[in-house]
Amino acid sequence: MTRRLIPLLFLFVPVPASADDCRAVDGARGSVSFEVRQAGSPFRGMFRGFGGEICFTQDRVTRIDVWLHPATVDTGLPEVDAALKETEFFAVKEFPRLAFASTSVEAREGRQLAHGALHIKGKGHNLDVPFRLQQEEGRWVVSGSLTLDRLRYGIGTGEWSDTRWLGAEVKVVFRAALR
Amino acid sequence: MRFRNSAEGYGIIAQAFHWIVAALVFVQIGMGLYAADLPVSLARLQWLSRHKSLGLGILALVLLRFAWRSLNPPPALPDSMPRWERRAAVATHRLFYVLLILAPLAGWFHASAAGLSVNWFGLMQVPDLVSKDRELAELFKLTHRVLVGLLALLLVGHIGAALHHAFLRRDGVMHRMLPWRPRRNV
Ligand code: HEM
Repeated sequence: MTRRLIPLLFLFVPVPASADDCRAVDGARGSVSFEVRQAGSPFRGMFRGFGGEICFTQDRVTRIDVWLHPATVDTGLPEVDAALKETEFFAVKEFPRLAFASTSVEAREGRQLAHGALHIKGKGHNLDVPFRLQQEEGRWVVSGSLTLDRLRYGIGTGEWSDTRWLGAEVKVVFRAALR
Repeated sequence: MRFRNSAEGYGIIAQAFHWIVAALVFVQIGMGLYAADLPVSLARLQWLSRHKSLGLGILALVLLRFAWRSLNPPPALPDSMPRWERRAAVATHRLFYVLLILAPLAGWFHASAAGLSVNWFGLMQVPDLVSKDRELAELFKLTHRVLVGLLALLLVGHIGAALHHAFLRRDGVMHRMLPWRPRRNV
């Protein structure tokens, strides 16, 4: 009797190909780096602490929930890193995390586009993030880049809002493996 | 007015290079000392940026000056000066060129290694000499300081000697670098 029921069970178990596969972002395998202009020259840094979860079906992403700890900023200049943690920049004591959550994800030719909201320092703004999800050496890897206006999020207030000396545009490049 | 150097003194090109570089080096030392002491702030960014741009300008001027000097050697020092003094003067002048080339180069290496590249007075991007490297940056920072310190010491000796020639010996040596003639028998 039970033997005959087993094939029936398969009707209720979702087929893997159409299921949402949710995976954690592997913070140790990847990078989130940024570039901003100081006195007209590119200045680069990165964030060492980030994570989150990305869900997908086959290779189409359905949901993105990622965060980053601004206190892990690393520009190679300790005095600059310290300043970036202060209230004029990331105010890390008050806002230890910044986060992006998607509301929908669109497939585009060869890449995907996440619509969602980025929250930094208590300010949320809609943001579209183009990215790719690819398999590399048996791992899923998300990668992409975007440009932000730091002033919309209050990054660099007061004297630092002078964009001739510190550019408003911040280019962000990310790449992370999923577990 | 002579453009080229003569047996009596420096021509106006050499004089212009001398006094322009001298004035800029003083401004440069002042800006460096002021900026290096500022905490991370917009003022530090502004003053260090100006310091870096002006420093590269000085480097370019010194290279031009050196080229001009190679084509147009300086007048010989008077025989009235003891031999050791003439040697010391010649050595000092040569060392100025060495330091005025190496000190800004060290600054440029430091800025490159620190990841704080230079955009020359906001007009053009200056290439980096090395890629970003924290330890190298510290090393070049120290090198820049040491070279600038030597330059400052040399300046003290040079200015002291020039004033000595001008006011105590009154042997006309100082006037070789001035556009007017000495007042005789004062
Ligand atoms: C003749 C040329 C130059 C002179 C006389 C000079 C002089 C100085 C002096 C006196 C200081 C302060 C030293 C200290 O207290 O740390 C300084 C600092 C500095 N200089 Fe220069 N400089 C020259 C060229 C340059 C150039 C060409 C650059 C870069 C392109 C540069 C980059 C720097 C930087 C970044 C500092 C700050 C170091 C720190 O963080 O403490 N300098 N310079």
